[in-house]
Amino acid sequence: MSSVNVRVAAVERVTPLVKHFTLVREDGSRLPPFSGGSHVVVSMDAGGKVYRNAYSLMGSPADTNAYHISVRRQERSRGGSLFMHDKVVEGSVLQITLPTNLFAISRMGRKHILIAGGIGITPFMSQLHDIERNGFDYELHYAFRSPEHGAFADQLKARCGERAHYYIDSEEQKLDIRAVLSRQPLGTHVYVCGPGPMVTAVLETAHDLGWPQRHIHSEQFGAPPGGEPFNVTLAKSGLVVEVAGDTSMLQALEQAGAEIDSLCRGGACGRCMVEVLETDGELLHHDDYLSEAEKASGKKMMPCVSRARCTHLLVNL
Amino acid sequence: MERGYKIRSKPDYQSLTWREHALAHVVVAKGKGGMAVLQLFQQMYPRQPVKVLYIRDKDESVDYATTLTKLIGEGLQCFDSEQEGLYAFFRMLSDCHMGTQFYMSGTESFIWSAVKLAKLHGVQEDDVMKQMMASLSRPVYCVHCKGMTTDITTNIATCRKCGRKLFVRDHFSRLLGAYMGLQVDAEDPGEVPEIEEIYP
Amino acid sequence: MAHAFKKETFRDDYTYRNSPEAIRRFPFPFAEDRYMYSVNMEPHTSGAPGSVVEHTVDVDEHYVAECMDKAITLSKDPGRYAALPHTMDAQWDTLELIMDAMSRDYPDQFKLTKNGNEWSWENKPLGIKDTFTFGDRSTLPMEPFEYIGRQSQGDWVILDQRDNDLYADAGIVTSQADWSLMFDAGMSFMQWHGPVPQAHEMGVFERALKYLLNMQYGSPVRRLNWTMTINPRLDTSPENYEQWGHERNTVTPQNAGEKVHLRVELQTLYRLPRSNGIVFGIRCYLISLEELATYPRWAKRMHRILKGLHPDLVEYKGLTKYRESAIQWLSRYDDGAPLELGTQPE
Repeated sequence: MSSVNVRVAAVERVTPLVKHFTLVREDGSRLPPFSGGSHVVVSMDAGGKVYRNAYSLMGSPADTNAYHISVRRQERSRGGSLFMHDKVVEGSVLQITLPTNLFAISRMGRKHILIAGGIGITPFMSQLHDIERNGFDYELHYAFRSPEHGAFADQLKARCGERAHYYIDSEEQKLDIRAVLSRQPLGTHVYVCGPGPMVTAVLETAHDLGWPQRHIHSEQFGAPPGGEPFNVTLAKSGLVVEVAGDTSMLQALEQAGAEIDSLCRGGACGRCMVEVLETDGELLHHDDYLSEAEKASGKKMMPCVSRARCTHLLVNL
Repeated sequence: MERGYKIRSKPDYQSLTWREHALAHVVVAKGKGGMAVLQLFQQMYPRQPVKVLYIRDKDESVDYATTLTKLIGEGLQCFDSEQEGLYAFFRMLSDCHMGTQFYMSGTESFIWSAVKLAKLHGVQEDDVMKQMMASLSRPVYCVHCKGMTTDITTNIATCRKCGRKLFVRDHFSRLLGAYMGLQVDAEDPGEVPEIEEIYP
Repeated sequence: MAHAFKKETFRDDYTYRNSPEAIRRFPFPFAEDRYMYSVNMEPHTSGAPGSVVEHTVDVDEHYVAECMDKAITLSKDPGRYAALPHTMDAQWDTLELIMDAMSRDYPDQFKLTKNGNEWSWENKPLGIKDTFTFGDRSTLPMEPFEYIGRQSQGDWVILDQRDNDLYADAGIVTSQADWSLMFDAGMSFMQWHGPVPQAHEMGVFERALKYLLNMQYGSPVRRLNWTMTINPRLDTSPENYEQWGHERNTVTPQNAGEKVHLRVELQTLYRLPRSNGIVFGIRCYLISLEELATYPRWAKRMHRILKGLHPDLVEYKGLTKYRESAIQWLSRYDDGAPLELGTQPE
């Protein structure tokens, strides 16, 4: 995976929990243009320990001078967001992968319904540029917990006008997903990004109303669930890797030097999939990639989000 | 012909069954496709709103229209020509919402004419349930003059537009809604193999 | 590399010939005596100096003649350029890719200056000089994809990535080996590969599709494909089948060396940044058996490949009528002794 060194050109506090980072290329050259909905994986060197988190690009895809990401402070995270908030300042150097897109606007869609919860607003910020440039019809529905937590709401009001609707939890404003999805013309696509339960609700409602799967898109960048610590043995090298309770299996494998590829780091793309050779316990699947049958077979797992409860786990690495 | 060889572009058809999750259902059928519609309603009359557009085939011996009227009642509209029926279908599409399920039945030529209209409203062809009824006759696209010739029952067709003799391939384009017709005597002009009715 | 662009034809009198240098750098694809499909994709990184893969986009001695042949084909059949309405972002991505590559690697022939979105482009071999606003279709004489497609060798197809699949939604296709853009436009990966025999059972296409869906910006890939053509004809399209189909009847064991051409496609694939699509380049290299035999090793290998080719592939590649003549012509170079692996000429 190609990556580049970037320098933090600016840090802006957007809400009590969210900071916006402007990243420029360390060598001063341009960054590649990208498609709306793309993300980069940021590697942060915390003196020995390396955190890797995926963050959506928020800026205009045409802006090749800087990338913009926003990070929500997660108290019970594996440390990445805390590091970004507490340790990363103007001038800090980070490594990012080139943009990847698993949440692109469908070019076949005539209308696009964008549903954002909290920090999930970030991918839509860049998607809106693609939508505007292509002249697509759209609606934005943005839910957040209280007025002070509505990151970029002012910007969006100016930009989207009547096409955007806001739902503030503290003021008892609830998004009626069913109502929104029942009144759309043929050829509409729906996109959701936000906390797990919101994403599930949208996917289930859309499915229930008869929306075809290919018209439904989602992205989730939650912190992968922690759990009990466990050990994993690498069959090819014989190495035994300890996965701590607050570290993902992928992270632990990477830190141990295992050769493992990854892309979304969120259980959606399948890139980091490992083959399970033996285990005396059970695999705890948290991904959205494997089929039910594959999960039940116990022969594959996604280390970026999944874990195991066992005393022995042998993988084909 | 290689055994076990199947061209991947050739569409698959299925027996129509109601989709469980739907906001509404729209069924479009012509001629013997009426049988597939009857079959649908014998499975169940769905809770959600249903609209059926049925086009009578002039040559049809069985009068599906009468039976359908008895079974379906208000949701049914009958037409005497394909043109009228498809036009009504096209106009109806603007009022349909996401969640509407589409079902089509008739000859292959008819089905794809209807699918192309749905596509103009953003419906993707994979999401339309299609049942080919009674005839294997094919719509054929002449790759040389770009003309379309419908309801071909033979392995070699005469292009309605340019008159070339075309070999009817299995390679199918969903955008055009037709099989490729390639000049059969391009290498040896005048040498046309035996014409056989293999898509009756 | 001094570019003496040749004046030659790819139809009618067929004056196309390869110079000794062109023969030497020919992308001979056969590393072993038997041929079967494989995914065979590799990173499209800079290869050996002078080779066809040294540069991202290869411009060789046939550049001008090929672009002229392309223009003739397009004027007779505009349907060889097709772009579905939603592909504009990908079209601009492609224009940028090709212009950047050609101006970077052949700075004496192609010049590109960018002033924000105001671009100036000069194509010396074709005598073109234009300024335009990147992203603004009205500032170019035609759609951006057609504009740049006409100025590069080979065919290009734009693929839209959606629903875990790739769709051929735009193309400029004038040197294809017997498939129709007009017909295949809008098809998914599996659909347009529909007619290819054998490969489906082997799962070749499933693996290839997965690989392509995961392609990253900045990491293009390439592979080689091959077939054969009678006479150095670029336009072997289904549309014009009656113009070239009968040429297959004119081959004898005596003239096979001159008439039968090995046609190798260098296929390159690039992830496009703004559209998240993929552009697929199909660059065609033609060499007569006679020219091929400049290097007896190649002739020997070609002989064995043709002899051992699976009947389904013989038919699919259109070789039936002249394969025997070609084999007979090549047989004089084959002493039956073992030939080491590798595609090298000597």
